[in-house]
Amino acid sequence: KIGLFYLIFYGMLAALVAICMWVFSQTLDPRIPKWQLDRSIIGTNPGLGFRPMPINNEESTLIWFQGSNRTNYEIWVNNILKFLDKYYFPTKITKGNQVKTCSYYDYPGPLEVCAVDWKDWDECNKQQYFNYHKNSPCIFLKLNKIYGWTPEYYDNPNDLPEDMPDKLKEHIKSINITERRTVWLTCEGENPADKEYLGPVTYYPKGMQGFPGYYFPYLNAEGYLSPLVAVKFERPISGIVINVECRAWAKNIIYNRAERTGSVHFELLID
Amino acid sequence: SGFSLLLWIGAFLCFTAFLIRKITTHEIDTDNLILGCVLVVVVVVTGCFMYFQEHKSQKIMESFANMVPPKATVIRGGETVTIMSKDLVVGDLVELKFGDRIPADIRIIQSQGFKVDNSALTGESEPQFRSIVCETGDRTVMGRIAGLTARLQPNKTPIARELEHFMKIISVWACFLGVVFGSAALAMNYSWIEASLFLIGIIVANVPEGLLATVTVCLSVTAKRMAAKNCLVKNLEAVETLGSTSIICSDKTGTLTQNKMTVCHFWCDGKIIDADSTTQQKEAEEYNKSEGMCATLCNRAEFIHGQEDKPIQSRQVRGDASEEAILKFVELTHIHGDPTEFRHKNPKLLEMPFSSVTKYQISIHGMEDGRCLLVMKGAPERILARCSQMYTENGTFCAEPPNFPRKDLRFVGFMSLIDPPRPQVPDAVERCRSAGIRVVMVTGDHPITAEAIAKQVGIITCDEVIEAFNINIIETLPPNIKNKAIVIHGSALRDATNQELDNILFNFKEIVFARTSPTQKLQIVEGCQRLGEIVAVTGDGVNDAPALKKADIGIAMGISGSEVSQQSADMILLDDNFASIITGVEEGRRIFDNLKKSIAYTLASNVPEILPFLAFVLLNIPLPLGVMAILCIDLLTDMLPAISLAYEKAESDIMMRPPRNPKKDKLVTRKLYFLAYGHIGLIEALGGFFVYFAIMAENGFWPDKLFGLREKWDSQSVNDLMDSYGQEWSYIHRKELEYTCYTAFMISVVVTQWADLIVCKTRINSIFKQVYTLAVSKELHGMTNLIF
Repeated sequence: KIGLFYLIFYGMLAALVAICMWVFSQTLDPRIPKWQLDRSIIGTNPGLGFRPMPINNEESTLIWFQGSNRTNYEIWVNNILKFLDKYYFPTKITKGNQVKTCSYYDYPGPLEVCAVDWKDWDECNKQQYFNYHKNSPCIFLKLNKIYGWTPEYYDNPNDLPEDMPDKLKEHIKSINITERRTVWLTCEGENPADKEYLGPVTYYPKGMQGFPGYYFPYLNAEGYLSPLVAVKFERPISGIVINVECRAWAKNIIYNRAERTGSVHFELLID
Repeated sequence: SGFSLLLWIGAFLCFTAFLIRKITTHEIDTDNLILGCVLVVVVVVTGCFMYFQEHKSQKIMESFANMVPPKATVIRGGETVTIMSKDLVVGDLVELKFGDRIPADIRIIQSQGFKVDNSALTGESEPQFRSIVCETGDRTVMGRIAGLTARLQPNKTPIARELEHFMKIISVWACFLGVVFGSAALAMNYSWIEASLFLIGIIVANVPEGLLATVTVCLSVTAKRMAAKNCLVKNLEAVETLGSTSIICSDKTGTLTQNKMTVCHFWCDGKIIDADSTTQQKEAEEYNKSEGMCATLCNRAEFIHGQEDKPIQSRQVRGDASEEAILKFVELTHIHGDPTEFRHKNPKLLEMPFSSVTKYQISIHGMEDGRCLLVMKGAPERILARCSQMYTENGTFCAEPPNFPRKDLRFVGFMSLIDPPRPQVPDAVERCRSAGIRVVMVTGDHPITAEAIAKQVGIITCDEVIEAFNINIIETLPPNIKNKAIVIHGSALRDATNQELDNILFNFKEIVFARTSPTQKLQIVEGCQRLGEIVAVTGDGVNDAPALKKADIGIAMGISGSEVSQQSADMILLDDNFASIITGVEEGRRIFDNLKKSIAYTLASNVPEILPFLAFVLLNIPLPLGVMAILCIDLLTDMLPAISLAYEKAESDIMMRPPRNPKKDKLVTRKLYFLAYGHIGLIEALGGFFVYFAIMAENGFWPDKLFGLREKWDSQSVNDLMDSYGQEWSYIHRKELEYTCYTAFMISVVVTQWADLIVCKTRINSIFKQVYTLAVSKELHGMTNLIF
């Protein structure tokens, strides 16, 4: 008898919760988040993400491989390939939307998404194992997507932040005003020693060094792909853990190393 | 107590978890560290609170004790010196005078009309001068009783037993959950270290952190309330004991009676006249003059000066208890005017003081009219043996004997004395009876007196009373003893076996023990406890101390009680009134009910505190409720409402139901557990989870996304975790969202706890039936405090 009571009681309870959840789910839109930007906890300060990521240890950010050992670096290569799958085969995810090759002069309209062309990454391609076998690995960086977020660009060469690397400042000065509508990206060693160990860095797509403005804002459109920057470390010193920090530059990206906003940190170790 | 032990273990486990983390991953696990520290602080603070509470009672007691240390006048080495009683040695010659305390066991070597009040020793009052100290300190009769008392291990209070039982349930349940889910975690491919951390986490989550403090405060609230009603509770846990008491062993003298001899009847001229024992004794006005004259003159007692403005009954008198009674009686009747004046006018010419050998006293007075009058007072048989005539209203006047004869006197009348029961006692005994509590009289007094008082106060209501003055009667009890009372003499008890005693205690509803020794009082208490009864013992004398200590609750008298009895008791009646016990019983029963409510209320929030952690482990969702939020609920928001339940009014007439059965009516029952955990707790948890999922979904993480997300969510290295809308969350923002969920979950628990408070307000009645009074305003006050 008591069992029956509990059966009915818990049944009713479950039904009540189910009804509540259902009613609540009706208030949500499947494509548009209820809270956006500052009203949401995600805020307006995106971080950065990097690939490849260590597979077996969730706590680690160490990219540790042997360029001479094919089975070893293939793990990392496969990790990247898995991530890049949708970039190599974008048609898999586009449904109703038109994929368009955008430029600074040609922004996407409604029902259009900008293509991300893997050919722009030049040497960082799967045929060349992303250069892992040559001990000059490519790391892919992306800016965190935040619904509705538009960057405020550093497009005035006379009004650049103090701590911006000189190379980037020169680059900004060297290009025209339209192409300055970019969220800039820099990768450097975290400490002076790390900078030395890391050596020269090349950014792909060539001549951009950042995420072009025509990819923003992200509006959860079908087929949308995050713009990627492939960073190639040309000659990192092997046998030493190198702390690398990549930073995104825009007026509304506030950098904080401790909170990892506007930046990302990882370590590189080449045997 | 058991509870703090549980908290200590919890704290220890927290520190262990902290160390495991520290050693294996070099991470500082602040949550466990804080939780451990908080648990330690809770135990220490509650302990201090308890200490201060009991210390306060101790202080009140001390104020009752004589502040001036007792002194004695002795002749030592030929010199008369006044020294402290504790400095006496064997061989000292002690000089005692009127009103002195006997400082040690003494052998009287020279005396004149020396009488001592033995009531502290025997419990009964019976009525200068040189003596020698023969025993001191622990070797005195007093010391031996004190030794017997000190050797006794007092029983655990019923509430302590209940809390221990509760603790056992909680511990077993916590360990069971911990082991089940720990091994489940192992089966889910967690590492050994993680699984053991989960195990510890689950065990600690089950510990109700706030409950110890809540229970302590509830008890002290009641203790305070009882102190206001003249029941001073020395030991906090004893607050509830009276409520579960099923048998009261009461001393007679001083507890049931006033320990004050009073004239109750007198006989003269062939008539028995009632003397109204308490008030103005109006009827005594009719009383004939001769007996009054005799009562006034043949009396050595006198009023102490300076108290003329006080009511007669409370004036202090120097002299023997029965003479005091007679003096007060004549003062009341005023038949010959002021007795002091009357004596002055008719001065005493010669006196033969009372002695236990002659059992009478004689004095000769020179009367105002120049004649001499011989008056004599004493034991009835002695007086009657010397009388040849009797006074009647119209009798002839006989000339006084010329040379104080001791026979052929004229008998004027009897005066009977009684130590009257306190006026409130019969009513109190009746209320005990309706509350299912048996009142047993255990006294050192004479069986006849004991029986008479027992009948007066309602301890004996049966018509048939078996008088067991020797062992034979106990051995041959008649089969039909259902509706009979029994009066047992100490000597019969001495020869009875434990089984026979148990048999008597079990079968007779109305029992009086007379002429009992301190050890026998102890035996009776132990006998009752063997039968599973919760025994309360009241007493005021030193002889009661062992029984007071052995009893589940010892109740001593605040005014007349000896210091030893007060020290061995758990509770002190500040007004010496047996009726105050009823208040104690009522408060005790009420606090037991209210503690149940408090515990049900507090336990309910345990479920929404454990389930998030279980879901975190088993469903791999981000943690919905953090440790700090749990502590906030347990130690902040749940505390005041739980304490407010201690003020809850009694639901029905709790004095009409029998005392709880300590074997069945537990503090924490299955039913309570099911209600708290299965119903209310579950609803609260579901509410909390709903809020958690709602907040997650509104910020982008739909429920389907959350399952299995735990590792990525908690990993600092993942800076781009994708939600259901494709947005990517950096670690810091995810955590911010998680903390928002903690807050929301906590608030929803707090809000549902408000409803729980209303649910827990009543256990039997409907909430609408329970009249909202002071309790509600207090609760609202507590709640508004919380909100603002």
